[in-house]
Amino acid sequence: MTETETSVRDDRAGARPAEAGWAGYLSERPLLVLGAVLALLVVVTVAIEPGYLSVRGVRNTLLLAAPVGILAAAQTVLMLTRGIDISVAMVATLAGYVVGSQAGTGLAYSIVVGLLVGALIGAVNGVGVGVFRVHPLIMTLAMSAILLGLLSQWAPTIFRGVTAVPPFLRTVGGGSFAGHLIPYNALVWAAVAVVVILGLRRSGLGRMIYAVGDNPTAARLAGVREWQVLLVVYAISGLLAAVAGVLIAGQVGSVDLRLAEEFLLPSVAAAVIGGTSLFGGVGSYSGTIFGALILGVLNTMLTFLNATQAMKQVVFGVIVLGLAWAYAAAQRRTG
Amino acid sequence: MSSETSAPVRRGRAASVRRWVRRRGWTAGVWLLLLALIGWYTTLIPEFGEFEITSIAKNSLPSVYLALAQGVVVISGGVDLGAGGLMVLSNSTAAALMEGQPPEVTVLIALAVVAGAALLNGFVGWVIAVSRIPDIVVTLATLFIFTGVALMVLPSPGGGTSGQLRYAFTGSTTGIGTNFGPSLIAIAVPTLLFAAWLTRTRTGLSIYAIGSDDHAAYLSGVRVVRAKVTAYATGGGFAGLAGVALTAIANSGDPRFDNAVNGTLNSLAAVVLGGILLGGGVGSVVGAAGAGIIFFTLSPILTAMGIDPNTAQVVRGGVIVAVMVVAGLLQLRRWRTQ
Repeated sequence: MTETETSVRDDRAGARPAEAGWAGYLSERPLLVLGAVLALLVVVTVAIEPGYLSVRGVRNTLLLAAPVGILAAAQTVLMLTRGIDISVAMVATLAGYVVGSQAGTGLAYSIVVGLLVGALIGAVNGVGVGVFRVHPLIMTLAMSAILLGLLSQWAPTIFRGVTAVPPFLRTVGGGSFAGHLIPYNALVWAAVAVVVILGLRRSGLGRMIYAVGDNPTAARLAGVREWQVLLVVYAISGLLAAVAGVLIAGQVGSVDLRLAEEFLLPSVAAAVIGGTSLFGGVGSYSGTIFGALILGVLNTMLTFLNATQAMKQVVFGVIVLGLAWAYAAAQRRTG
Repeated sequence: MSSETSAPVRRGRAASVRRWVRRRGWTAGVWLLLLALIGWYTTLIPEFGEFEITSIAKNSLPSVYLALAQGVVVISGGVDLGAGGLMVLSNSTAAALMEGQPPEVTVLIALAVVAGAALLNGFVGWVIAVSRIPDIVVTLATLFIFTGVALMVLPSPGGGTSGQLRYAFTGSTTGIGTNFGPSLIAIAVPTLLFAAWLTRTRTGLSIYAIGSDDHAAYLSGVRVVRAKVTAYATGGGFAGLAGVALTAIANSGDPRFDNAVNGTLNSLAAVVLGGILLGGGVGSVVGAAGAGIIFFTLSPILTAMGIDPNTAQVVRGGVIVAVMVVAGLLQLRRWRTQ
């Protein structure tokens, strides 16, 4: 760990005296910088709380980072197409309610229904954005308002009595294995990560996502049906939000209207920290994974420092702003 | 009259009517819709009088100011997710500082809070213009930062203000009453002055220009950075005013994060229904102000109809989508016919 730290210092010292070589090298390899930032944060956290690398610290960080990482996967894929999804938190909450209400009819069935509902709502967003050309921010914002309104009415009626979560989900969402070191939800996150990374790199859809985000006109002229790509991408976002919602419900152990609220902004922040551009076509999920981990470690560190929620919010905001600025500067340098 | 008017004049008049409809039709429609909704509301409740008018007018003040704040930023081609956060920060700061102070001091504090909010958001606009980070990312960060600072200023709901300041916004030193004059003035005067400034001064028009096409604006000699900073600063001023109004209405401050997020979302909804195009350069803040009141009146109307007021959220979302779909289809048809 200490070696990494010194190497980070060396990099910075080398980059300072107008050596465009180092700065250029690093701005072309953002993952290296993100890894260094993450390592630095871990080192600082260990310095504050020497017991961090033992069992509980790492587990808690992963436990928090996994739902953020899965929601950020949705944001990453959408940002690549110049989109964003504000409704992920409400879709996740809805999925939690659906799974809770269907638990009596069988676990697998309830999970499938929950995920399908998420994908369906995502598809509705996709129709709005892809077919009717509604601005993504507005479309998903409106969807969020609609879902909040419906859930506020349904919570005491249709979903009455839905508060507890099946034990299996509580294990998946909040339990851990390997000597309590690795939480199960990190496994789900890993699976999602493999699918998203491979899908973006290797599949035809993945290439079309980058093409549509990079230059919609060129993609259309090349024969890509933009609306179909957007429809699928928003459905995927809804599905991922539902997966995260089920995990969050399992972790909390119960469902309520505010279930996933606090995960919305970190999900966008993780993608931004990871270097995905809101202008589309630039970025990768591997960067976002680092983003989610950085936010997770940072959160743990601030908790060790007894920072209040207020302090955390300010620090998060400053870090998002600082990294976004660094990316913008790096992009201008490389052109 | 028709026999005396010659054909070209008539055609000219028809064209000017058409132009008026195209330029101000949406804004007029929004305010007509608001009047129709209030008219309908009067038939729904047993008694509609000065008390109800006062209640609607004063309670929609924060939404109106926040719609103006969001409106100017969206016209400039940006979007301010931090507007709600700035409102909450101003609300908390004002309530924390004003408690137990004499009236003159509270007025000074109110002015200082509005000026401070304008300065702060002007700096945000400068960061956006200089760094070229997308508006969404920067203002998402400021939403975090502003609400965090608000929690530090006022850790839990509380604080207070003077009766005189309450009178300025609510028409009563206790915040409850039937005197609707001050609230209506507090809605109309800032909205109309701001709209006039935006459409009739060089600086105001430069904000429209950079929203329409910042490159073209730059080539025509508009100082893009200055216009951007001005848009965010004036927006920040109105977000600050929304916070002060909130303090006056509730006689306290509330630093909770939900308030900030809801404020931002409602202001975006008002801007969209108000006819300001996301992307910039088109629309009037007068329409956004009207839309802000419309969204506020939905809840009492639904309650009066015996419908769960949570439906207001659903209606709000549905209206936004419907407006955007219709606007999109109209745009498409205009392109096809041209």
